[in-house]
Amino acid sequence: MPIRKAANKPEGNGDRGKQSPLSAALEDTVEQVRSRLGNSPDLVIRNYKSIINEVPIAALYINAITDKNLVDAFVEQAMAFEFPGEGVAIPSAPEDIYSYMKDKAVSTGKEKVIEDLNSLLEALLSGDTVLLVDGIAEALSGMTSGGESRAISEAATQVSIRGSKEAFTEGLGTNIALVRRRIKSPDLWLETMTVGRVTRTDMTMMYMHGLADEGAVQNLRDKLKAIDADSILESGYIEQLLEENRFSPFPTLYNTERPDSVAGNLLEGRIALLIDGTPFALILPATFFVFMHTVEDYYQRYDISTMIRVLRLICLVISLFGPAIFVAALNFHQEMIPTPLLINLASQREGVPFPTFIEALMMEFTFEIIREAGIRMPSPIGQTVSIIGGLVLGQAAVQAGIVSPAMVIVVSLTGICSFTTPAFNMALSIRVLRFGIMFAGAFMGLYGIAIVGLMLVAHMCSLRSLGVPYMSPIAPFAPGDQKDVLVRIPLHFMKTRPRLTRNKQGKRQPGPDAS
Amino acid sequence: MRKEAIGPFQLFAMIVLFELGTALVVPIGLESGHAVWLAILLALPGGIILVLIYGYLYKQFPDLTISGYMRRILGRAAGWPLALLIVPVFLYNGSRNLREAGDLLISASYDKTPVIIINSIMVIAVMYILYMGIEVFARTAEIYFIVVVIMGLICAFVVIAAGLVKLDNLFPVLPGQWLEALQSAYPNILIFPYGELVCFTTILPHFTAKRKVNGVAVAALVLSSLMLGFTHALEMSVLGPDIYSRTTFPMFTTITLVNVANFIQRLDAFVILTLIFGVFFKMSIYCYAAVSITADLFRIKDTHRLVLPVGVVVLLSSFVSAEDYPAHMADGIVFLEKILPIPCAVIPILLYVVHRLRLRFKLYR
Repeated sequence: MPIRKAANKPEGNGDRGKQSPLSAALEDTVEQVRSRLGNSPDLVIRNYKSIINEVPIAALYINAITDKNLVDAFVEQAMAFEFPGEGVAIPSAPEDIYSYMKDKAVSTGKEKVIEDLNSLLEALLSGDTVLLVDGIAEALSGMTSGGESRAISEAATQVSIRGSKEAFTEGLGTNIALVRRRIKSPDLWLETMTVGRVTRTDMTMMYMHGLADEGAVQNLRDKLKAIDADSILESGYIEQLLEENRFSPFPTLYNTERPDSVAGNLLEGRIALLIDGTPFALILPATFFVFMHTVEDYYQRYDISTMIRVLRLICLVISLFGPAIFVAALNFHQEMIPTPLLINLASQREGVPFPTFIEALMMEFTFEIIREAGIRMPSPIGQTVSIIGGLVLGQAAVQAGIVSPAMVIVVSLTGICSFTTPAFNMALSIRVLRFGIMFAGAFMGLYGIAIVGLMLVAHMCSLRSLGVPYMSPIAPFAPGDQKDVLVRIPLHFMKTRPRLTRNKQGKRQPGPDAS
Repeated sequence: MRKEAIGPFQLFAMIVLFELGTALVVPIGLESGHAVWLAILLALPGGIILVLIYGYLYKQFPDLTISGYMRRILGRAAGWPLALLIVPVFLYNGSRNLREAGDLLISASYDKTPVIIINSIMVIAVMYILYMGIEVFARTAEIYFIVVVIMGLICAFVVIAAGLVKLDNLFPVLPGQWLEALQSAYPNILIFPYGELVCFTTILPHFTAKRKVNGVAVAALVLSSLMLGFTHALEMSVLGPDIYSRTTFPMFTTITLVNVANFIQRLDAFVILTLIFGVFFKMSIYCYAAVSITADLFRIKDTHRLVLPVGVVVLLSSFVSAEDYPAHMADGIVFLEKILPIPCAVIPILLYVVHRLRLRFKLYR
């Protein structure tokens, strides 16, 4: 499957100095770097002279993205000169000084030798410190990246009552550590790559060797390598570039900011993608039911979890079909409503000037406005939304004679139900689809809803996430995987991993005869 | 492109949905009076034999649809035109299903909606799923199998809980009625709905577990037969033979009588939904069969190109074939007795016999 190519050429001058080797003259190189960075004030150039022969040496780094202590340590390490003792030649020529420095610096492990201007710039911009020696057309770089970043905090979007309070942060290293701390296994394999021609974003693919399907890993690797975009600012970019069904409203990659969720999914044989600069990790293959589960399902007792899962599915159905069925029943199928209730509803609607469908559409629209406003609003004035929202979507709207009380209840119920879907992006899709189904319900009643529902299910069945059918393990039906779909059986009996990720080590726990 | 594959449970779900299709809602085997449920069960052995014949032919030619092995067995000159004649039968039967669904919907709650709108919406959905391919169709069938079973259980439970069942309407079955049941079982019920499974000969080439085909098909047939028998027995016991034979849609009439604690009383929606789903799957399979036979006969590689013409033909013939519902039912009786048995029973049995003879006398080159 072809990956969408970014249409425009890279902005900036990313390609200009591609093969330009470094100049031997220190002044030239420094000048080149400075001009390529547009005389940026955060570029720091420290000038030194070697102890012997006073060969000019420069240390270059970018201020705010480096850790001062690390810079100092690196420079000290490289420049410190120990008297070699009797009989050993003291390095005096620039070449000798450089190779002496190289030996000392490289011994610390994270250093590399740079030979062209572009990699020098890339090293600088990712927080490395670069050492240049006059007369040498090479540079030494040391990893000194640091600077301010956000501390690990509580998950804001995927809250759980029980379970780890840690959430990912923006730093890739921190995020990897958070997962590693949970899976202390040598089989947790990582692959790092850089994506985005301009942004040069670091990305790590994580999977459990032996559990994740090799074919899927290779497939994903190829797809990631084929990504040719100029910028990757969030995991959402990667998500959209990886999606196999671009015109589907349903998400086919799961995102989470919880390390325990990533760990759990890795252990089921899925693959995780951590992207630098965002606390949201991607998990794939993600089937429909992955979006309906939370980590807490595994932390609470199995019976409670099962009940909650069923509840969530019912809520999903209500939030998708609720207003549509209400509109359809009032417009087409009055005989389906018990007579006393029908009379009641009719009397409520007595003063309402609009058709049911318009009424429902208006209320749903208002509700979406309130919800969007609630997200975008600065938190100090967040209270206002709830007060005003209560007015337009409540008793006041009814008293003004614009809507009927029953409609307010239906719309509110729908809204509340849509909040029970654990994955926000799935809830968003359902939100959008609800309007379509409302149209169907308003024009063709229950029949329209049923037909649109059929087409929707057919569409969902046609989706795949990294080769895995979206509706699995219900369709195609896998009896062994039913233990963790709607019902979550006790952990004690959950002995095998999901089959659809095609992992080889199926067993989670030793069987009864093995212990 | 890789070949689309269908697993055992998917085939099972498709067969059950296909069998329940319209047979669940419309009255079948009227001649047998109140022993209709008995007739349904009596026709089962015959149905199993037919299915085993289809299964045998599939195992002999696992990669071919019915039109493919018709040409192999009967020779190109006889097989090709005969296979071509099956296509209109399938299309007409699909359009009959559509007509029945449209009429139920109009009589239930869409009295102001033109039938062409209702039918074309259904056809659009069918065309959509056929574009998606048989694999997606099979997965959808799995999900709706679960949905239909749950709805059926709720309906059956509610009808029984409402205390509507009068067993006097079912028993006793007198010796003469056994005979009547047998007469309506063979050939009517044998052909509709059991014999209609001949459509699956076009789906079986996608089936992955070749050895399980007979087991799956027979299990699905037995289950759907039990469900049909139970449902019709329930309808009969609630309505009595008199009303049962006079209503257009006995299941619909049955469910409207339900009233549990003045709270659960209007479950018509479930019946309508069951019918919509049933007709949808049955029609889709008929259309798929028509599409794949046509594609096979005329060597059309891209079967998607045939979906639109097939859909349009089914849609148009659904309301031009008969001027009103009684005429439609009258046509149905003739069709059921004279035409439908040919592709469902005569041709498969003929193929079976000829194939065995040619094998026996080594007449294949």
